Amino acid sequence: MTGSLLRVENLVVEFRGGGAFALRRETVTAVKDVSFHIGAGDAYGLVGESGSGKTTTGRCVLGLQAPTSGSITLGTDDVGELRKRDPQLLHQRIQAVFQNPIASLNPAMTVARILAEPLRRLVGMKDPAAARTRGEELLDAVRLPTDVLDRRPTELSGGMAQRVSIARALASSPSLIVLDEAVSALDVATQAQVINLLADLRDETGVSYLFIGHDLAVVRHLCDRIGVMSQGALVEEGTADQVCHSPQDDYTRRLLDAVPVPDPTVKRVRHGHTTR
Amino acid sequence: MAVLRRVVTRPSGTIPLIWLAVVGFCALFPTVVATHDPNAADFASLLEGPSGAHYFGTDELGRDTFSRVVDAARPAALAGLQAVSISLILGLPIGLFVGYAGGWWDRIVMRVVDAIFSLPGLILAFAIVAILGPGLTNAMYSVGFLFSLRVIRLVRGMVLSVREEPFIEAARLSGAPTTTVLGRYLLPNMMGPLIVQTTISFAAVLIIEAALSFLGLGVQQPDATWGSMLRDARSFQRDNPWIPWPPGLAITLTVLAFNTLGDTLRDVLAAGPGGGSKAPRRGVALGLADGATTAARPAVDDTADPDPEALLSVRNLSVIVPTSTGPAPAVRGLDVDLRPGEIVGLVGESGSGKTVSALAVAGLLPRGVTIDPGSRIHFDGQQLVGLTEARMAQVRGTGIGMIFQDPTASLNPALTVGYQLAEPLRIHHGLSRAAATDRSVELLDRVGVANPRERLRDYPHQFSGGMAQRVMIAMALASEPSLIIADEPTTALDVTTQRQVLELLVELCDDLSMAMLFITHDLGVVAEICDRAVVMYAGQAVETGDVHELFATPDHPYSRALLASVPLLDDDEDRLVTIPGRVPGPGEQIVGCRFASRCEQAHDACAAGPVDLVTLAGGDRSSRCLLSAAAVEDGA
Ligand SMILES: Nc1ncnc2c1ncn2[C@@H]1O[C@H](COP(=O)(O)OP(=O)(O)OP(=O)(O)O)[C@@H](O)[C@H]1O
Ligand code: SF4
Ligand SMILES: [Mg+2]
Repeated sequence: MTGSLLRVENLVVEFRGGGAFALRRETVTAVKDVSFHIGAGDAYGLVGESGSGKTTTGRCVLGLQAPTSGSITLGTDDVGELRKRDPQLLHQRIQAVFQNPIASLNPAMTVARILAEPLRRLVGMKDPAAARTRGEELLDAVRLPTDVLDRRPTELSGGMAQRVSIARALASSPSLIVLDEAVSALDVATQAQVINLLADLRDETGVSYLFIGHDLAVVRHLCDRIGVMSQGALVEEGTADQVCHSPQDDYTRRLLDAVPVPDPTVKRVRHGHTTR
Repeated sequence: MAVLRRVVTRPSGTIPLIWLAVVGFCALFPTVVATHDPNAADFASLLEGPSGAHYFGTDELGRDTFSRVVDAARPAALAGLQAVSISLILGLPIGLFVGYAGGWWDRIVMRVVDAIFSLPGLILAFAIVAILGPGLTNAMYSVGFLFSLRVIRLVRGMVLSVREEPFIEAARLSGAPTTTVLGRYLLPNMMGPLIVQTTISFAAVLIIEAALSFLGLGVQQPDATWGSMLRDARSFQRDNPWIPWPPGLAITLTVLAFNTLGDTLRDVLAAGPGGGSKAPRRGVALGLADGATTAARPAVDDTADPDPEALLSVRNLSVIVPTSTGPAPAVRGLDVDLRPGEIVGLVGESGSGKTVSALAVAGLLPRGVTIDPGSRIHFDGQQLVGLTEARMAQVRGTGIGMIFQDPTASLNPALTVGYQLAEPLRIHHGLSRAAATDRSVELLDRVGVANPRERLRDYPHQFSGGMAQRVMIAMALASEPSLIIADEPTTALDVTTQRQVLELLVELCDDLSMAMLFITHDLGVVAEICDRAVVMYAGQAVETGDVHELFATPDHPYSRALLASVPLLDDDEDRLVTIPGRVPGPGEQIVGCRFASRCEQAHDACAAGPVDLVTLAGGDRSSRCLLSAAAVEDGA
């Protein structure tokens, strides 16, 4: 793929474990030699169970975690370098939405202030009135009524809070948004709405996604390509259909198998119990 | 400040505050309150009892005890302020720093703190006093130092638990520098516990100050402190038994005031912002009676008796929550039955009232949220509505186990898992320390935690999400319950871990013959583990039935829409089916079917009046929809 927006090459992240005075210091390799590309306007899914290294990979892309080795390039810039040289510019270009919708928003601030922060710091929009107008536009983009501006996170439902997080991520008009388990905490009905919203926003703005998740049924609905991570390594990669319908790796098959199916006749944890 | 307002509206807040204000006034203006010079000896009146001239009598030098007690308020307040401010000045930055920086710094500082902590506090204070020399200020330095360790622990624990909170990360992504993150984001969200800790520290400082002065290591003569007055009183108690009372009472009342205030603050802060001061404490009858408008037979008559065979039988449960427009029902006349060993799913969108229903059954409703008095909850033959807090705790402690969604949030980050497991076993089941430890090991082993004995010493953040949830399950099992209430226990887990935890729960239910009320919004999970399901919408059950039937032929339009919006591995649609709009809030007045505004099959009659739950042809299922009612009529 030539027109890649993000290139992750041979990414390795190691954490040093053990106590301060432990005799043996173990090194945990959280990410092992991971490479993938995301084209401009594409949505790339990264799946795996917790602890498989997907969040660490996402944090490296965001510049929140320094890689032990390997490189991450955004357009023509090295992310590590950009973080040192101009962190604001990095954050302007790559934004994130996290899992827990309410916890992602500072409970002490109103939505208006939450949206004004990136506008002021990353886009240089210092005028409060202008920031408010832009805040209204952003809420409109994520299909929220503008009166949400004056509410606090604790006064929002999970789905609304997640939309505010998406609005905040959109504020600096980034070229890539890392969505780390961004719909996992939402109920089915809200999840479906947010997934459709994310798809629409991609069509409207041309933003790319790195969509991190554990439920292949969800990831497949939003992503063009999917990478499967297990114990730090990328064990399988392909188009969404390839990965979901003709998985090559055993681990992928296990992941597919663990997806709950809303049909009691298909597979069931509970057998036999009858009450009446 | 709203918190302050809620504190002063309670007697447990007002009374300590008044007492502390009195003490504070004495400390600031002792000469105004005192009737005599506190240090003026009067050898004409030695060791007198209380009188008009000397309210609290006199001491061995004829000094006025009342004036001395008043005068001693100042050193007490100063001592408290000194010690507490030192503890904050030292503890706050160090705690913030090591919590935020982590790594080496954290490990070294915490080792040192843990090591010092393992020494008896008072002995350490003596050692410091021995080095610095006696005197109240030195004593308070040492106490302040000791308390700073506590603050370091507390702050570090809180930073650790919020450091990885998404909103902190998001703040950094929004371009906020580290100092801003620490000051503007971390600190305000830690104020609550800090204020509580500080208040309680004051009480502890007073006791230590009194102890040190009592031993002659504190304030030097002739200045009075409550501790030194007690010490002096000791020698003359035989001549004047009254003499230790005033300083003794002053210490006791002040310590009590700080502790009570601390507890009240903790309660108020735990209730969360907005935690219902407006809401009435007792349930209000809100006229929930839905006029029967359909000819079809209502599935469950409001007056129907609880099912005698059921372990849990909920009838006509209504739960009232405070809203901006006044109290309103978040749950409206819910009926649920659980037979022994049965797993029943409570499923529905966010805001449909699942959690509130579960908390009502467990008697754990937050302040300001109440059960309508017309509700009935029969558990094991006992009516739970109206039980006192204490009786309810007993029911929970012996029969009902709870598991919540976020395991790490339900565990205290500052205490080891072993402590949190063993503590209730010692309190509720009267086990000895060793027996409680053994039982904890057994429980952890039962839920599949490897190396249980070693893991008891670990703190919650050292557990992965799945393992932490196993710990929560172990805690729920501790009381050997016959009913487990699980509120979205696997929502925060990844699919593979979720499957393991579900398998564990089902296995435990089978092996230990426990029934489980399983709350989730994931229909896939319901299909995999539940025997029966209750689909909830906007506070009502809209469809109930055996899972096989319910999933094969969902009857209610809402159940159908909910099923359709589940993303599947093998459908060809790119866009997911969504239900337009949102769940109406408890306060929204809706005359007809509560789902009408979002229902594809809504017609004129739907808005006319409330819709009843009707039993469907074939027996064991019911649905709250006019279309079903009509179908039943036709069939009948
Ligand atoms: N302490 C409270 N004070 C005021 N309103 C409350 C309180 N707790 C719940 N509510 C309201 O009661 C309704 C039902 O809430 P509940 O938490 O039971 O929903 P739920 O079905 O558990 O949703 P979720 O899937 O998000 O957990 C909501 O409208 C909510 O706003
Ligand atoms: S009663 Fe009417 S609005 Fe309500 S679910 Fe049935 S068809 Fe839809
Ligand atoms: Mg809930």
